[in-house]
Amino acid sequence: MGMRKVAVVGAGMTKFMRRAQETGKELSWQAARMALASCEMTLDDIQAVCLGTAPDAFDSIHLKGEYLSDGAGAWGKPYMRSYVGGGTGVFAPIQGWYHVASGLFDAVLVVCEEKMSSFYPHAQGAFLTIFDHTTERPLKPNLLWIFAMEMNRYMQTYGISKEDIAHVAVKNKRNAADHPCALLGNPDITVEDVLNSELLAWPVNRLDVSPVSDGAVALVMVAEHVAKRVTDKPVWIQGVGWSLDTAYWTNRDLAYPRYVEYAARMAYEMAGIKEPRKEINIVEPYDPFDYKECHHLEGLLLADRGQAPQLAIDGVSLRDGDMPVCPSGGLLGVGNPIAAAGLMKVAEIFWQLRGEAGARQVPGQPKRGLAQAWGDLMQVGTVVIMGTNP
Amino acid sequence: MSLLERYPNAPGAWLGELPITSRYTAGLAGERFLRAIKDDGKIMGSRCDRCGITYVPARQFCERCLDELDEWLDVGTKGEVYTFTLLFENLDGTAREEPEVVAFIRLGDGGLVHKLDEIHLDDLDIGMLVEAVFKPETERQGSILDIAYFRPTSP
Ligand SMILES: [Zn+2]
Repeated sequence: MGMRKVAVVGAGMTKFMRRAQETGKELSWQAARMALASCEMTLDDIQAVCLGTAPDAFDSIHLKGEYLSDGAGAWGKPYMRSYVGGGTGVFAPIQGWYHVASGLFDAVLVVCEEKMSSFYPHAQGAFLTIFDHTTERPLKPNLLWIFAMEMNRYMQTYGISKEDIAHVAVKNKRNAADHPCALLGNPDITVEDVLNSELLAWPVNRLDVSPVSDGAVALVMVAEHVAKRVTDKPVWIQGVGWSLDTAYWTNRDLAYPRYVEYAARMAYEMAGIKEPRKEINIVEPYDPFDYKECHHLEGLLLADRGQAPQLAIDGVSLRDGDMPVCPSGGLLGVGNPIAAAGLMKVAEIFWQLRGEAGARQVPGQPKRGLAQAWGDLMQVGTVVIMGTNP
Repeated sequence: MSLLERYPNAPGAWLGELPITSRYTAGLAGERFLRAIKDDGKIMGSRCDRCGITYVPARQFCERCLDELDEWLDVGTKGEVYTFTLLFENLDGTAREEPEVVAFIRLGDGGLVHKLDEIHLDDLDIGMLVEAVFKPETERQGSILDIAYFRPTSP
């Protein structure tokens, strides 16, 4: 395609917290500084900055991209905020990728931040404002009950039970117990704990959902000649993809995320992947709800339709299973500061492929991983495939 | 022309609202900066020696090199008016009897945007020296409005 090769060479991440004292600027700065330090680069080495952050409403600052720019290291540099809702955290590195792949820049810093605790009394309130003002908002929809309806349709279509899906929450929260930045890690959680947690909007219980959080994550992405200079363990971007379904909630297939499939097919083609189930070693699909991990694995063509919950039940998707899914602990366990959570997934693949994931390291020296996020009006899929080979 | 002038041919409206209430944290630097105003009546800056910049209000990090700024300094309560404007209308378009004066007051290599008071409009000038007037200690809340306003002063 005439594109240059692009590698990730550094990553940094703050703790994901329920409510941080730090401002969004300060969280962004902490992550940016850690990412640069991790590859012994300085801001002088960075030619452009890409910022990802979700609705302005969360931090309660309009023009949030501009507000966060100093913490992201954007002073005096080409800078742009990208925003595709919940999909942002995996889109921002795609923006970083084309900045470098195009030949425009040799080194970029990608920073994703969210401070959801500012919105009072609860970040769900921000979602009252994203729906159509005449046909939907008078019914006061929020994402919990909108997704409860999607989960119900998914369960009905394939004959899946709440118990089947709860295995995903258990797996991810147990995995997160090994993540030093995690908010909700719990090595002892059981399926019963999930099923018996507070019922929010049937069939969604509290432990089926990821927590509102504050946090930031950053990556350093560079061209091949820079990668060779700064590290002997570059992790290469092999494929990227993104795709959008209709903005109308009522014109979408709620049991199958076709937009995720389109995004995945774009990324698989770029990466030269013919049989994704055999060629992808680790997966970090977007899991703000436990059923969404299943939904997304099916859209990514990594599970048959309606069969994804079985991967967690059978142990295939455990950290030491044949196809580890969310070894980080995912949004369900590490936390869900929206854009930062998506980029955390890309950072996790980076650490896993370098063998630097510590207690979370999946066995067998994985060669290739996939991170995916989902968002906008619940209809965008964003996918990044990374590998140890260019 | 009023700020709220109506368009006489507007189509019918569906009324809605975007209700937003926020509770912000001042941040690591903001907490310390506001406490110095509230408890000590001091305006603090933070210094990056590498870049040669004194940030006011004080910040936790240098935006030019991302170094952490642990050198904090009292920059005093006097600064020059860098620029100003006079507000002759309220936000709802009604006229004010007396204009309100807002200014950017240079402190260190940054400064504050704040109100000017105790001033004759004829004396108002870019470059004039002004000083912070703090609210009585018992009324301070850890807000930038604990500085009531700035007024003319001499060196
Ligand atoms: Zn500096």
